[in-house]
Amino acid sequence: MSSSSSSRPAPPVVIPGSGNNIIVNPLQRGNPVLECIRNVGKEYGDIVADYQVGRTTGVLFLSLKYHRLHPEYIHTRIEKLAHHYTLRILLILSDISEHKDPIRELTKVCLTNNITVIVAFSFEEAGHYLTIFKQFEHKPPNMIKERVDKDYASMLRTSLTSISKVNKTDVETLRSSFGSIANIARTSPDQLSNLPGFGQVKVKNIKNAFEKPFRNHATNTLAFMASSPSREPMGNEPHDGVEQGNTVAEPSYKPPREPSPVWDIELDL
Amino acid sequence: MSTLLPFHTSILNEIYDPDTSDLLILSRGLGLRRIICTLLKIYDSPHNLVLLVNATQEEETEIGEELGIMGCRKPGLRVVGYETGTSRDRNFVDLLQSTIPIDLITGIIVMHAERVSPLHLVSFITRLYREKNRAVSTEEYFEGIATETRLDISKDTLERKRADVIEFAQNLTDNMNDIHAAIVQCMNLTLAELRRSKVELDLDSLNLPAAYFSSFDHIVRKQLDPIWHKVGPSTKALVRDLGVLRRLVGYLLVYDPLQFHSFCQSLVESATSTNSESGSGSGKSQWMLTDAANIVFQAAKRRCFVDVQPEQGEVIDLDDDDEAWDAVFELEGRPSEARQSTNKGKGKATGKRPGWLPKEIHPVLEELPKWSLLAEIIEEIEVEIVRMESTVSSRPVKDPPGTNVTLIMCSSTATCTLLNDFLSSMDSTRPKGEWGRRMMLKKLRSWIWWEKRRKMMQEVTQSANSSGKKGGSNIAQEMVRGGSTSGNGNEGLSEAMRKKDRERAAQAASRRRVRGGAPVNNSGRGSTVPRDTPAPGASTSEPGLGQTISDDFFTTDNVELLSLNDDEIELNLMGNMSTVEFSAEFDAHYGLLSPPQTVLVRAYSDDTDDRMLDEIKPRFIVMFEPCMEFVRRVEVYKCSNPGLPVRVYHMVYANSCEEHKYLAGIRREKDSFERLIKERGSMLLPIIEDQRTAESDAIIKTISSRVAGGRRALNLVPSQVIVDMREFRSTLPSLLHASHLLVIPATLTVGDYILTPEICVERKSLSDLVSSFNSGRLYTQCELMSVHYKIPVLLIEFDEDKAFSFEIISDLKSYAKTTNRYPPKKKTTGNPTEHNYTSPTIQSKITLLTLSFPRLRIIWSSSPYATADIFNDLKKDRAEPDPVKAVATGAEEDPEAGAGVNAAAEELLRSFPGITVKNVKHVMSKVNNVRELCEMDLVGVQGILGAELGKACYEFLHKGEGGFRR
Repeated sequence: MSSSSSSRPAPPVVIPGSGNNIIVNPLQRGNPVLECIRNVGKEYGDIVADYQVGRTTGVLFLSLKYHRLHPEYIHTRIEKLAHHYTLRILLILSDISEHKDPIRELTKVCLTNNITVIVAFSFEEAGHYLTIFKQFEHKPPNMIKERVDKDYASMLRTSLTSISKVNKTDVETLRSSFGSIANIARTSPDQLSNLPGFGQVKVKNIKNAFEKPFRNHATNTLAFMASSPSREPMGNEPHDGVEQGNTVAEPSYKPPREPSPVWDIELDL
Repeated sequence: MSTLLPFHTSILNEIYDPDTSDLLILSRGLGLRRIICTLLKIYDSPHNLVLLVNATQEEETEIGEELGIMGCRKPGLRVVGYETGTSRDRNFVDLLQSTIPIDLITGIIVMHAERVSPLHLVSFITRLYREKNRAVSTEEYFEGIATETRLDISKDTLERKRADVIEFAQNLTDNMNDIHAAIVQCMNLTLAELRRSKVELDLDSLNLPAAYFSSFDHIVRKQLDPIWHKVGPSTKALVRDLGVLRRLVGYLLVYDPLQFHSFCQSLVESATSTNSESGSGSGKSQWMLTDAANIVFQAAKRRCFVDVQPEQGEVIDLDDDDEAWDAVFELEGRPSEARQSTNKGKGKATGKRPGWLPKEIHPVLEELPKWSLLAEIIEEIEVEIVRMESTVSSRPVKDPPGTNVTLIMCSSTATCTLLNDFLSSMDSTRPKGEWGRRMMLKKLRSWIWWEKRRKMMQEVTQSANSSGKKGGSNIAQEMVRGGSTSGNGNEGLSEAMRKKDRERAAQAASRRRVRGGAPVNNSGRGSTVPRDTPAPGASTSEPGLGQTISDDFFTTDNVELLSLNDDEIELNLMGNMSTVEFSAEFDAHYGLLSPPQTVLVRAYSDDTDDRMLDEIKPRFIVMFEPCMEFVRRVEVYKCSNPGLPVRVYHMVYANSCEEHKYLAGIRREKDSFERLIKERGSMLLPIIEDQRTAESDAIIKTISSRVAGGRRALNLVPSQVIVDMREFRSTLPSLLHASHLLVIPATLTVGDYILTPEICVERKSLSDLVSSFNSGRLYTQCELMSVHYKIPVLLIEFDEDKAFSFEIISDLKSYAKTTNRYPPKKKTTGNPTEHNYTSPTIQSKITLLTLSFPRLRIIWSSSPYATADIFNDLKKDRAEPDPVKAVATGAEEDPEAGAGVNAAAEELLRSFPGITVKNVKHVMSKVNNVRELCEMDLVGVQGILGAELGKACYEFLHKGEGGFRR
């Protein structure tokens, strides 16, 4: 569905979208980025975007330095882009130090125009992006998907190191002293703290991860939210009563919030 | 609560006034908690609510207890500690929801002000508080700092009453010296390497003494932070290595040789295993390849045992071993002519060789020199006590204050247990240096067992039968029992000793000292319990033991678990007392006994030590490891108990990193103290303070007023953002609030921030981004967002002080090669050739993400401040989000949507195979915690996850125990 070719009148110079080349808008001639596009062919063609890096992907290029001088330029380009391409990229080259405001403004513009912003910090990086966009045109996203098949050791390592403070050495220690995850889950904090390299904090983190309940109903926000519109301001509370009134009777405003998870008090010493 | 010292009172006088805000800087060990508690007590009334923020969990409980002791049992105070105690994030979430009666708040006490920065949560809390509490003028803003500076008033008070300190400088053993030198060499090497790799580092701070401190990592990180993402993996590894080495040198002085050895083993193992798997050279630490490292590992082993060939003992490389043997002999205090005999019949000299010992091992079991030193000190104290008793009884005056409890302080709870073990199984009839032989043998046995098991693990699949003898119990228990059964194995060995013990016991019977306690009163020696279970009736003769253990309750050794339980039950029957206050009430419940001459081993635990000292009132204190803070604490203790003779024994390893660290610490404290005084001279405090608070607000508010403030004010409905609970750990919610957005905390299933009904934002800091790309989590999150929201947004947030850019693409060349081999045409076949790209750049991952989700927008933000601006911008003229809907989004199958989530547990759960983002909620609603999942059987797990995934998960959880459990 080459929207670019169908919606436009006949392309005058080259027929774009033919294959493996990045199609470059003649406007971009002389842009140093072109030098940095490597490993992919380039050809000039009449397109609305600056670079067409895939059949449905169009890239506009903007250097912030240029933007500072001609702030209206990008808006005309975006206007021209209209509804072409499914993936519309604005490749911003951040080459000034006061990048905060322009980027903020561009972010907003792009959000309303369905354009995704990519910020590059050098011409090399920008060229790299363009190259990859072309190269990855048909690449399935497996590289960034959740992976499943790995060997046991590395899986074990990723699981256990997901607990903060636990490092590779500790994983090895845990594995050799307890064997399986299930056994680690069963060990007492004392046993853990006897292992070499295990201090109080680490033991506590491990025990937190294994034994603390997943859900803490004390902080249930949904219930609070649902009841909040009808809630009266605090001022109506009788202040003159015993001080319990302010703190203990508090939960009566909203669905009972458990005073605290039992776990913290008993085991967290 | 003991009396306040003069300088405490003057501090309190200065700061108690609620109209001013004060900053208190107090050196560690001078009783900060005492001041805070007294202060809290002053405001203990129904009309005051004092918020205590930024305290750690331990501090909260301790302060709560202390207040209880001081008699503040009114809820007004307790609730505060309680609220903060339940969860760190709760406090200001409550403030946001106006749950806490804000108009009652009299003041806020901020602890650890040194960690507070304008972006910190505490600033958020104080800002919230100010905002909602304008009417109330009484405001009190303390910052209790415990940094390294010393208050000048205190000096003269303390100088006058020095405790009687006796310092011991113990030499390291030769082996330890070798290891120590080698580690130091490694550290120097790593430091040199680090210096070479990065020019930007401030080289002055990169010297060896600095590397002893744990703050060193922090310093290096801080220097590297702006360029951290550009730093190569080798430099990162160097920084990490320094941490490992620092810990190693610390462990050398603290751990027993076996534990040290096994730590070294784990180090080597984890290094080699990752190396082989990852393939790239980044895993291996450089220092491990040096000779010095080899010395470390060799010597670590030599301290435990020596390998020998049982048949041909003479074949051992004598050149190499001569020294080793000599060292061994020296250690064991045996004349070297005994060598001949030892070389043939191993262990002859040590008496009977235990049967369980493998033939190819000759136990050396070097002991830490401090152990025997400690034993000698205790001996001396004993004599001293006796002497004092006789003098006291001759004089008809009332008892001097204090008890004869000997307090031994050490750095960690692990050391505590070790010392407890050592003292209770000590055998002073042996030559000096192997008094703890029995304990060491026990440990050796469990180590051998551990080692054997480890080897078996490697060929675990077929070795199921080999461990058939280990019946029934699980491995963890087995591990414990490994030590315990050795107790039985020791029978033969210790027969002679026991005889001696009995003789000793007869002598010591009048003096009930815990050390002898265990073997003396043994009634259950033959049982599987390692330590002797005290017979119920014998409790009177064992108060010392009971106290030692119970007081040490948090840390109890597993080996002692059983005996502890017995003790505890007994005690509970008698007094139903809390373990914490045990020692305080001890006398009351055992009223007939005079304060027992017990030995108490404790770990340094910051301000809690004050109360402990007060309760126990010891006369003799042994500091097993140097701790400047504690010395000061003892001084305070002595001052507040006039007339109490305190003697402190202070042990340091001579010429070790311990000594250096101690001295460097003192020096640093002195320096910063002087600097502080100088600074103070040139500044006017009240002005700074006002500026500080005003300024921190001003920064934030000017930003926001420029953006949206003016216009937004016309809006009747306040602009709101729904923020995920978990995000409150970051600084952004605070800044959003500061920029006049209404922050609504909620537990979201999809996204982190909901700006409008259409815009959902997932925030990723730079490091998050990398890791969640690697784990694939980001992809799933984007998938979810795309399903539920019209405009899914990924926010890539750079840190403020770090550079706003990605790592430099360095190796485009190698990258080019691989792509040439696989021209784009062929890639359409769909078979991804991931391994082609040795390390795909972050840019390529972002590219792939945008290609996969064309609707995904990316916000590039250079700092949280910028993010707040962008959010404000995006929200302009758009509808407000609905919290209820936002919480329910994506949580259809989850009956408990919105409940607070234990992030650590969820993270762990997610990492298991078979658990995906889609079913994780389901699992969490079915199972209470990870442990429960681990204890389910295969059918149960499959019932939750389905046949295939359930099997995968179950097998993962239980892999490695096959063959050991049967």
